[in-house]
Amino acid sequence: MSTEHAHDAHAGHGHDDADDGAVHVHIGSNQSYIGIFLALIFLTFMTVKVSYYDFGSANIIIAMLIATMKASLVAAFFMHLRYDKLFNTLAFLGSFLFLAVFILLTYDDLGNRGKVDPAYGGTVVSGVTAPGGAPATTATQDDVAEEAPHAGSAVAPAGAEKPPSPKKE
Amino acid sequence: MANETAHAEHAHAHPDFLQHHFDTPTQQFNASKLGMWVFIATEILMFGGLFCAYAIWRGLDPDIFDQAHHFLNKTMGATNTVVLLFSSLTAALAVRSAQVGKRNLTSIYLVITILCACVFLVVKYFEYTHKFHLGLLPGHCFGHPWFSASVQGGQEIGTCLRTTDTASAVMPEWVKAVDESGQVTVLPPRANMYFGLYFVMTGLHGLHVIIGMSILIWVLVKNIRGKFSPAYFTPVDLGALYWHLVDLVWIYLFPLLYLVGKPE
Repeated sequence: MSTEHAHDAHAGHGHDDADDGAVHVHIGSNQSYIGIFLALIFLTFMTVKVSYYDFGSANIIIAMLIATMKASLVAAFFMHLRYDKLFNTLAFLGSFLFLAVFILLTYDDLGNRGKVDPAYGGTVVSGVTAPGGAPATTATQDDVAEEAPHAGSAVAPAGAEKPPSPKKE
Repeated sequence: MANETAHAEHAHAHPDFLQHHFDTPTQQFNASKLGMWVFIATEILMFGGLFCAYAIWRGLDPDIFDQAHHFLNKTMGATNTVVLLFSSLTAALAVRSAQVGKRNLTSIYLVITILCACVFLVVKYFEYTHKFHLGLLPGHCFGHPWFSASVQGGQEIGTCLRTTDTASAVMPEWVKAVDESGQVTVLPPRANMYFGLYFVMTGLHGLHVIIGMSILIWVLVKNIRGKFSPAYFTPVDLGALYWHLVDLVWIYLFPLLYLVGKPE
């Protein structure tokens, strides 16, 4: 890889903040950029080729692995992160950290909706589907009628009734 | 500005491009780059909302993604991937030419990059019109005869777009369409979710392609006017960074929308 510099008049200076009025950056060679491009094309070919075979649930993992390899090549070399200040890389990777928090917490929320809270023993209103999630409980209207004496309220429109929320206030 | 004072203090010339609140071009360059990277992080988080929606809906209903993704044309998607990767290469080479002061070469590479962006949009146009023709659209438009020529709905759906009362709008029970391999497939109406994601994700990406093109055209004009030199090429660098971001997003969109699912 070539190591030419925009200005070579910085003999004896520190590399980063040399105060000689010039910006010093790493300049990759044409060949290196073309090499990265060919690697990207190869990986694109691979990801298309692989999609014609069925690996079951590993399909998406393989596809995402190849995509991440491609993205890493683009970020490291085309976007110069490899030769940039480390802080830029941290800003970039930090966004993926928060994206992971976003997606994982959303998954956790959806996966646990409508479950009975063991600590409070609270049940979600029977026969009512939790918003956006699976049916609230496996109990039917009939089960509630047997257990609860005020089952008459279950006939009322479900939307009008608020589910009991023991942990509020 | 403070040119004279600065000159005296630092004993070197303060060029035109150096803003008065920066001490050195290096400091200015590093600040610009960091700002661009923080902006790129916010862009990733914006697309992240859509990727999160994709993850959730795919997790809830993987079969529909499997059936619906066969209606996307892998060849067109792969072509667009190669076009974007090539434009990323030319964008990187445009920056390199600016770094070594080859102004004409920078212009040529920028023009190639912009042309690639046009090719990408033209391919996308053909993909979109094909889906419109089949009625593979989001929400209540899915399978609607106003859009589709060859699609049959299981119910009377002729008035669903004309009414403002969404509750009375009726979805077809199924939509029959011929997918890319010539096979007739019946999609249930909930497949509109997949096409909703497809159009919003590729649509937002397409908007970024158009914005990226505009930025590169602006950089090209400045380059032709001779505003850049090996000492100052920041706009070329940052414009190219934006273009690479467009490429990065597509690198993930392509397998997620076109490739993932069981092969036929």
